[in-house]
Amino acid sequence: MNKRIFAFIDEDAKKEIRRAILKAVAIPGYTIPFASREMPITRGWGTGGLQITLSTLVEADTLKVIDQGCDGSVNAVTMRNFITSVTDVATTTITGEASIIQTRHRIPETPLTEDQILVFQVPYPEVLTTVEPDTAAQKVMHANHDYGKMWVLLYEDTAQFGDSRISHRYPVEINGVYLMDPSPIPKYDIPRLHNNSALMLFGAGREKRIYAIPPYTSVQPLKFEDREFSRETFPGIRCERCGAAGVFFDQVYLDDGIHYYCSDTDFCDRNVAGER
Amino acid sequence: MSYVAVKGGSRAIGAAKSLLQEMISPAWKLDNNNLRDGFSFAIDRIMGEGSLYSPDLALEAFKRAGGDVMDASIYLRAHRSSCQRIGCADMVAGSRMRLVRRISSTFKEIIGGQILGPSSDYEIRLLGRNNHNTASVADDPEYPAKGGTRTDECGDFYFGSALQPLRNDNLIKLLPNHEDKPHDVTRIFPLPPYPRSAIMQIMARGETGAMLAFSYTSMRGYGDVHPTIGDLRLGYLEVTFTHPFTGGTAVIGEIKTTACETVGSFIRDPADGTMRLTTGYGFCFGYNETKAISMSILDLAMNYPGFTIGGSQVAANPEMIIHHVDAIESMGFANHFKLPHYVTFQADLQVYQKARRQEEKKNE
Repeated sequence: MNKRIFAFIDEDAKKEIRRAILKAVAIPGYTIPFASREMPITRGWGTGGLQITLSTLVEADTLKVIDQGCDGSVNAVTMRNFITSVTDVATTTITGEASIIQTRHRIPETPLTEDQILVFQVPYPEVLTTVEPDTAAQKVMHANHDYGKMWVLLYEDTAQFGDSRISHRYPVEINGVYLMDPSPIPKYDIPRLHNNSALMLFGAGREKRIYAIPPYTSVQPLKFEDREFSRETFPGIRCERCGAAGVFFDQVYLDDGIHYYCSDTDFCDRNVAGER
Repeated sequence: MSYVAVKGGSRAIGAAKSLLQEMISPAWKLDNNNLRDGFSFAIDRIMGEGSLYSPDLALEAFKRAGGDVMDASIYLRAHRSSCQRIGCADMVAGSRMRLVRRISSTFKEIIGGQILGPSSDYEIRLLGRNNHNTASVADDPEYPAKGGTRTDECGDFYFGSALQPLRNDNLIKLLPNHEDKPHDVTRIFPLPPYPRSAIMQIMARGETGAMLAFSYTSMRGYGDVHPTIGDLRLGYLEVTFTHPFTGGTAVIGEIKTTACETVGSFIRDPADGTMRLTTGYGFCFGYNETKAISMSILDLAMNYPGFTIGGSQVAANPEMIIHHVDAIESMGFANHFKLPHYVTFQADLQVYQKARRQEEKKNE
């Protein structure tokens, strides 16, 4: 491996990725195709997020990597180790200290700031895949703002099951224009995309798409006017470690029954440290 | 109380990596030359699917992956991403191949003759020592053909495609070419409608098993492609590079390749209304006849979907092929399901419980 290159990817590729990011920021919610280089981790394991992070990082950055809200999760550890081995940037587990946060499946509980970039790893960048697998047809539907098939899916689910069956990757409308896949975050995190102070970048390596939600952009879940958008709730539950309530919890089955802990481990740590 | 460890993951991951290294460590004791040349079909697949022509790097990847060919090809792809591109080699033509093997099943006799070369086609697959696997040509004065001992030294034959006489007689339909220069899928992934050169590139890097499976659907019922192999060739192609400033051309090496041309059914050529035969083309790094044949069938199926009968067009749909033959992508994604998914599963459970409560309310 060529260790002399900062951040592993060759400079031409970084330039291409940065251009795609700029384009993505300019057209919120629109998926920008890019060539997507192969990374030394397997495709489907966050190579899109990784390419964005590697192309965005500078020496002065402080990096945080989480998976399911946890800094110690297997893939977060692998990813962080690789990134630091090719960049030497400082890392942190503390949300407030990070300038770039790469995440899979969660948005940190601690509110983000304008100085932060949140990079999402994305398996399915195309929100319409569920109802229309053909790439050409998807493009036409987006161009015509034709999301009828999504509405029908939502209607059929609501009629049969009382609500949408989509539990994560809930379709969202960005800036009143494009329908977008927010990556597999739970519905709990969906309202937290709306008007967020941080720049949010989405990378799908395998599917070769980059997209973005710029700071302070309107993000609305697809829903009927007369229906509430229902997030996951944990009524009466408190974290057994830090005592927090009203956040997203991990449910853990042990010999002595079910236990609940904060899904965001840094949020939990800060509470235990008495910083809140 | 066993709280799910926040920072305990690193040690366990380190241990898992060490266990793997220990398990496959004997690989590093194997002799490089013997392994690279003796297991050349594995090395060829790694180079082809890894999309990087380097037997030595493929060998290292083979060892690092403990013999897993798919995994090894990821090492080569990843290596590519760290290399700056200095330019593009000149285009090669399959007809210029220094042949090691070249056969045709469309004609009994072809210009240049049927050159069987090194092939497993005539092997009786019996284990153990038996009459079928002991060499029987020791006394043949004409073996080896040109006096060399290794297959890459014995050939000095160059012949055009065995289908050339049919082309000369204008019996073969030519596909229109709308491209000034080939698309480069490693720099711009194509959007539909997909240029043929892009589909061909993706297939040339495609996984042998996936290509075989898709082409097989076309062969046995979900399509009507029952092709005849017009020209199947194994050999070496010279790679030349034109200097960007001086304009001088230099030979930078040879690549070992497989190419295959298959003949399909006939079709009315829109160019002049004449009936002409259709063909498909397959090409890949190294010796891999299964893949080259499969690719030529898929090329045929995609360009002449009219041959498809019944069922849905699986092999004839570029959308289906272009997104599903790359092993780096498919095997990566299949394996990603091992990653923690407890947040999304938690969300699934809540939706499921809500639907059940709704159902119970209805039944009351």
